[in-house]
Amino acid sequence: MKDNLKAIFSSYAEIFFLPSGAAGAIIFAVTLVKPSLALAGIISVLSAYGFARLVRMEKPFLQSGYYTYNPLLVGLSLGNLFQLGSLTIFFLVCAGIFTFLATVFLANVFWTYLRLPILSLPFVVVSSIAYLASLRYSNLLVAAPHSAGLLQAGLSLPYWLAGFFKAFGAVLFVPSVGVGIVLSAVLLRYSRILFLLALFGFYSGAIIRSLMLGSTHQAFADLNNFNFIFLAMAVGGVFLVPSLTSYLMAFIGVAISTVLMDAITGFWSYYGIPAFTLPFNVVTLGLIYVLGLLLHPMVATVVGRTPEETLENYLANRMRYRGQSYTLYLPFSGQWTVWQGWDGQWTHKGSWRYAYDFVITDDHGKTHSGDGTRLENYYCFNKPVLSPVRGRVVQTSDDLPDNRIGDADETNNWGNLVIIQDTRGLFVEISHFAEKSVRVKKGDWVERGAVLGLCGNSGYSPQPHIHIQVQATETIGAPSLPFSFVSYAAEGEYQANSLPPVNRPVEPLYRDKRLDHITNFVLDDELNYEVLRAGQKTSEFTLKVQMAPDGTFYLQSPRGQLYFGKHEGTFYIYRVTGNDPWLRLLFLALPRLPLAYREKLAWHDYVPVGLVASGPVETVIGFFSSLYPRLATVKVNQCFAGENRVEASIEASILREQKTATVELDRHKGFVSITLDDITLRRVSHEA
Amino acid sequence: MKRPYEKPIINKLHTGLMNKFGRSPAYARKVRSEIDGASIDSLVEKYGSPLFVYSERCLRQKHRQMHTAFSTRYPNVVMGWSYKTNYLSAICAIMHQQGSIAEVVSEMEYQKARAAGIPGEKIIFNGPHKSLAALEKAVKEGAIINVDHLDEIYDLEQITQKLKRKIHIGIRLNLDAGIYPQWSRFGFNLETGQALDAVKRIKQGGKLILNGLHCHIGTFIMETSAYAKEIEKMVGFAYEVEKTFDFSIEYLDIGGGFPSKSRLKGVYLPPEVALPSIDEYAEAITHALSKALRPGDFPKLILESGRALVDEAGYLITSVVASKRLADGTRAYVADAGLNLLFTSFWYKFNIEMDREVGGINEHSVIYGPLCMNIDILDEGVLLPPLTRGTRLIISPVGAYSQTQSMQFIEYRPAAVLVGEKGEVDLIREAEDLTDINRREKLPKRLALSSAK
Repeated sequence: MKDNLKAIFSSYAEIFFLPSGAAGAIIFAVTLVKPSLALAGIISVLSAYGFARLVRMEKPFLQSGYYTYNPLLVGLSLGNLFQLGSLTIFFLVCAGIFTFLATVFLANVFWTYLRLPILSLPFVVVSSIAYLASLRYSNLLVAAPHSAGLLQAGLSLPYWLAGFFKAFGAVLFVPSVGVGIVLSAVLLRYSRILFLLALFGFYSGAIIRSLMLGSTHQAFADLNNFNFIFLAMAVGGVFLVPSLTSYLMAFIGVAISTVLMDAITGFWSYYGIPAFTLPFNVVTLGLIYVLGLLLHPMVATVVGRTPEETLENYLANRMRYRGQSYTLYLPFSGQWTVWQGWDGQWTHKGSWRYAYDFVITDDHGKTHSGDGTRLENYYCFNKPVLSPVRGRVVQTSDDLPDNRIGDADETNNWGNLVIIQDTRGLFVEISHFAEKSVRVKKGDWVERGAVLGLCGNSGYSPQPHIHIQVQATETIGAPSLPFSFVSYAAEGEYQANSLPPVNRPVEPLYRDKRLDHITNFVLDDELNYEVLRAGQKTSEFTLKVQMAPDGTFYLQSPRGQLYFGKHEGTFYIYRVTGNDPWLRLLFLALPRLPLAYREKLAWHDYVPVGLVASGPVETVIGFFSSLYPRLATVKVNQCFAGENRVEASIEASILREQKTATVELDRHKGFVSITLDDITLRRVSHEA
Repeated sequence: MKRPYEKPIINKLHTGLMNKFGRSPAYARKVRSEIDGASIDSLVEKYGSPLFVYSERCLRQKHRQMHTAFSTRYPNVVMGWSYKTNYLSAICAIMHQQGSIAEVVSEMEYQKARAAGIPGEKIIFNGPHKSLAALEKAVKEGAIINVDHLDEIYDLEQITQKLKRKIHIGIRLNLDAGIYPQWSRFGFNLETGQALDAVKRIKQGGKLILNGLHCHIGTFIMETSAYAKEIEKMVGFAYEVEKTFDFSIEYLDIGGGFPSKSRLKGVYLPPEVALPSIDEYAEAITHALSKALRPGDFPKLILESGRALVDEAGYLITSVVASKRLADGTRAYVADAGLNLLFTSFWYKFNIEMDREVGGINEHSVIYGPLCMNIDILDEGVLLPPLTRGTRLIISPVGAYSQTQSMQFIEYRPAAVLVGEKGEVDLIREAEDLTDINRREKLPKRLALSSAK
């Protein structure tokens, strides 16, 4: 019952892009100012919900309200039009189910072919159809108008303010100042960004229209203005990451939609149909489709529960995960130096711009000893070349001679080479092997780090080096594709996934058995901790390893979940949910851990600002970081202070002073203790 | 100048003929007037003779060379500086700066490493004698402990009970790597099943966790294939242990034994010709690793190098204090350094250079040390021109073991200096005097001479 109620209330919240069932309950209560309207709405939702259960739509699909807010809007629009009677109820049930079908149909078509959400398009379609049909249903009785008291209240407010609240109320077909005030208060409670966008959208649209129409009062009083409110919220805060760019897009969208709105109202009204939310739908979908097509960076890849959450995740993740999705290990062992990177100055151009060259250099930056006239003088000559991926060897050659120094083979540019198709489907091409040095053959399966052959000077290579690129086919010389390198050290700093710049010395780090084992949390493992504050034990808790339906693992505490995982040589804490302060502390103290040890190896990470801010501060940052992202930057600098000890300092512009944290790794598994400021979490009985 | 009188003798002369290395035996001279820019004269003037001199440039270069040779061929290499080879603090500091951890074989060496500021987890504790107290300290400080014998296993189990926690250990293996002599006195023998029994015992006890294997096949190994054989056997054993006993072998410590460019007595070819380069050792070892290890498995490879890093960086300056003719007519010299400082001269024929050009024809000569002992011979057959008193001889390479094995027998031990990369000279060990000899002695009052101060 509770679940069902929550699902139904979620339909109400979803209209305003809000997540919570509680917000939905308040909005439902608001509709009660006109009981017949409220009843019409709930009948429509229930019939859609009931039909969904009848056709055995699974619960998870229904819980969000995603499929039922359109039936709700249709129900409200019809309830606004007709008195409730058995016939009207029948009509509402039909309309509810119809909207539900339209929603599922359109949602699937839009998502499959356009990668777009459907917004309230089904509502527009079905309500228009219902309005058209109802023109002939003389047995349906026209509803009583809203009580005068409801509509008149609050009109003492200036027209430009009353207009805003009325437009807000008009969303629920109750254009009353009071309803508008309650709704905007709910919005303000859940998201400051949405609230401000609502104001911004309304006034931008109203001012533009007042200039165009020449009548300020008419422009501000138009109930269709809720289109601007929704457009600004959807574009500025929901589908784009809140930022100056998204606000600008919201403004542009509002400006365009004023034109569309006047066109539609003019045309539609001929048939007695209101414009509903059509201008909002058309402009919003058009804008996000085009921005998505252009791979605009501000299009939100993960939409949070509120714009604040979208922004916080975006800001933390943008800094956190920098590399490409296609990742390689460095194709050698020990310290080499980047000779040429992407868009290099010599050969990495055009179709072959995504490629790397590596050499070995000495303390003076030279690639050879002596005068460098002989191949053997070159430090990297005849050094092993290792497989950067796990996969199958699809092509090899090693019959070309090594060029004399300074010469290059212009006929066989790629020289002796190995091409590997890796498990993700792409092909990795490595060039310039020494003559007769390739140790693998076509069809061999290779793991990361397997010796492929020796570095040489064949092909278009004036001095011995390794060339590496990724391509979509196994053809020699195929166009290159972007990639990045994982798990390496560069000048004492650990890089989890990035592209080293030219002349940077880099050394690959392979997974260390010990650290791998320490971070190997297996399902149902239980970890008991006690909390010490300034040395005094205050409480105890237990963490248990569990798996989410999407396959990610998390530590379950009584009050929250901490998601973690390993990717290409790094242990990450991905995110925290719930409100467990100790899980948040753990996230802050150890957002990531390299699975390879080098003395004093340092690294840094960024975490969501919510880990260090709370209450009003978080609220203020939540909005202002959309204008000034650095406000939300929380940088965690870490380093190995010993084989089993990680030290961290946490820097954030909102923190008055740096925080420091220490994590003691257990010799067997997990963490012995985590200390942040004066709080220590200590493992209880961690060893037999 | 009036030449000192010398009784005439007759010497067979081979004029104009060259030996097979292209030099005339009659006039070949090896002269060294400086070490990395520091002149022999000024060194002796300031620090006295004899004098140990170390080249920082050479130390760092050797370390870099070896690290690069291995790390560019295998992605998980750790070097452990073998303290016993030369544990002068300055030498150790340079090695640690270059990235080596410490490899010690006694309580004294362990303490020396700790005193130098090396944390326990960066010390490999080897050796056949580890006292219970030393073991306990090493366990507490997280040192890497390689067990030599069963009694040490019992000791460690006792410590686990005291500390109430499990201990990670490695065990030392000895095995047949196809070379002679086969060292079998250290660790547990592989071929006879001793090692497997030891692992069984460790598992049975349930208190120790085996996470590493150690082996050291010998010293001055001139055959790269011996290491390949060692690796093959160690990896095979590691996998057997992992499979049977559910231990995870995190490191393979293959010991040291890499030669320096020193000349063993009885080896005909000069070291430059007879010895493989460090790259050849690295190639053989890492190739064997890639053949033996499972794909994608890279346990830590620990190298315990000493001689190959430090030997060629060390010189001993000694002065001729007297010359004489032996009864058979052989020319002989007495130097102020002998077996007391170069115990290693029993096995190695050192390179002997003079600090100045000396005229005259080379003669088969013997160099004696200063000890009043018949066995104190630095070199019993070296071609030298007639040397005058005060000529300085520069003996090399003597960086390995000479310093640590030198003794206070009859003579004081001399000073040691380090020539920096820019030619600057630092005193790293003062010359000894009587207080060093007497400091630990206790004289019962009743024996004291009344005239003693």
